Amino acid sequence: MSSKRISKELRDIERDPPTSCSAGPVGDDLYHWQASIMGPPDSPYAGGVFFLSIHFPTDYPFKPPKIAFTTKIYHPNINANGNICLDILKDQWSPALTLSKVLLSICSLLTDANPDDPLVPEIAHIYKTDRPKYEATAREWTKKYAV
Amino acid sequence: MENQISDASDFAHTRIPKLSQLDTLLRCHICKDFLKVPVLTPCGHTFCSVCIREYINVQAKCPLCLTELRDSMLRSEFLVSEIIDTYRSIRSDILEIIKKPEDNAESRGNTSLIELGSEQDDSLIIDADSNEDDDIQIIESSGRKSLKRTTTDLTGSSSLRNGPRSKYFKTNSKAKRSSTASRIDSMIKKSVELVPCPICEKYFPVKELERTHLDECLTLQSLGRKPKEEPVKSKPVLKKPRVTPSEKSHLLRSHQDSKIEQDDSVSHVDKYLNSTADTGHQRLPKLDLPSMTITQVKQKLTNLGLSTNGSKQDMIARYNYFEILWNSNFCDSLNPVEVSELKRQLLSWEASRKVHNNKGSSNSIGALMTSRSDTQHAYKKLLLNLKTDKFDRKGWCTLFRKQFRRLIKDAKKMRKASIKGKEEVVSDKIQEDLIVKAETPNQVTKEKIADAVVEKPVPDSTNEEHVSDPSPEEQLTDPDLSMDLLDSLGTRSHSA
Repeated sequence: MSSKRISKELRDIERDPPTSCSAGPVGDDLYHWQASIMGPPDSPYAGGVFFLSIHFPTDYPFKPPKIAFTTKIYHPNINANGNICLDILKDQWSPALTLSKVLLSICSLLTDANPDDPLVPEIAHIYKTDRPKYEATAREWTKKYAV
Repeated sequence: MENQISDASDFAHTRIPKLSQLDTLLRCHICKDFLKVPVLTPCGHTFCSVCIREYINVQAKCPLCLTELRDSMLRSEFLVSEIIDTYRSIRSDILEIIKKPEDNAESRGNTSLIELGSEQDDSLIIDADSNEDDDIQIIESSGRKSLKRTTTDLTGSSSLRNGPRSKYFKTNSKAKRSSTASRIDSMIKKSVELVPCPICEKYFPVKELERTHLDECLTLQSLGRKPKEEPVKSKPVLKKPRVTPSEKSHLLRSHQDSKIEQDDSVSHVDKYLNSTADTGHQRLPKLDLPSMTITQVKQKLTNLGLSTNGSKQDMIARYNYFEILWNSNFCDSLNPVEVSELKRQLLSWEASRKVHNNKGSSNSIGALMTSRSDTQHAYKKLLLNLKTDKFDRKGWCTLFRKQFRRLIKDAKKMRKASIKGKEEVVSDKIQEDLIVKAETPNQVTKEKIADAVVEKPVPDSTNEEHVSDPSPEEQLTDPDLSMDLLDSLGTRSHSA
């Protein structure tokens, strides 16, 4: 079932791409995709293009896809390995979700970080206490790694 | 076909784009396909029975609203099931009928104008007395200016330069249009038309003529005999009121389908009215297999007539999936199938699971064949079907014929060498293993399989022929997969 469902999602994404995201399989492997997200304009990541790698488990959609940033990003919920702390990628996953919805959630995570459930506590601390400093660093990283 | 991916966006560019909402609503949110044996949750959401049961085994929540859910809460929805079956049977017809008219007109206009350009020399010249050269020139010069000019540009520019000729142009294009239409007409007709056989001069459908009759006729002629007296003498061509080509092709298709569809539509209503829950079979219980001993698990599987191959984990997965299939079939489905069919589905599910698990492991067919770049694409296509139960065995054989031949050759060489040194007992034993379908297929290596294949009483002279139509044992080079596949193939032929 998984390959059929993934093909369906691929077709959906090709026909009706979500705003500011794109995604598709790497080579012939339907279970390994690459995606890109444009930094949301109302965030310090504006102007950057962030790449992500996506692995669908063989029991997809019963298990969530594994998604990680391959571009370095300064964000309280994304660590140095690119791992993302997002509930719908973990315990809140539902098979009714699709990759395009997940990518949109990641986009909104870039706009609104969740410092109360951080993956990188240092960044979360700065985010909470010194917002301008966080924004400056995020902008700097974006310029350095994502432009 | 099922393989073709259809989705709601098919309706986006039709006259009724809102139908895409209906299309979406009739789909399962787990597999994204049309609901198969729909069941209702207490929270009011509907999913395929198998999909939601499988998900409940992972997570006891409704995928849409995340409320708690157990499989005993699921209720079948016969009405939705019949609505979907009805809808599916008419979906392509609906799509065809509500296609936007301008799309049709546009495409028809284009083809006729393209023909106009390509056939100008033989037909345009006829009535364009002295201006004929100009006419051609217009097209050529505008064509030279920009190759990608649209066809409307062509007509536009000609009307700018020369008033009267534009009229001529139009009439001509109209004539062309009808001629294109008639050509399409005749093409369509040809598909149902009977064609005379050049030898016996009797009429046959084209396909039949090409495939069987010509050969027969030639043989009979060479033998000096008269062909069988069975073909139709007259040309039955469909006589219908004139319709546009697209309508015509649609009519033809729906005409062919209409019989089946009508039967269907009647039975959908009847099926719903006569629907009752199957009470002949008891619900299979969920078992706490992990806490049982291997013998207990085996006992449970044997009681159901399931295989006890593999590890405890495999057996647990097998029971769990069978429980899903069983309960979905006997508790939810309007048309429950036989237990043997469920077992076939279970086997094909296990085969697909094996393919996934073997991904990347060094001795899988996948890894073996991915090294070959030329056949890689075709192989992937075939392998995709291996995961379903529509695996194309013949295609697989032809694709890897070379490899199979080489393997047999190698095996023969090895055998010749081994005959000198070793005694035959070893290979005999291997053959025995194969016959009892090798309970532990991992131990049988590739060479051994090939070796055992050669053991079969096949004379060398007919070997080529033999290779071209290999029996299942020979097609498969990977022991791990081959046994599973053999199992599933065997069972399929039983159930079929």
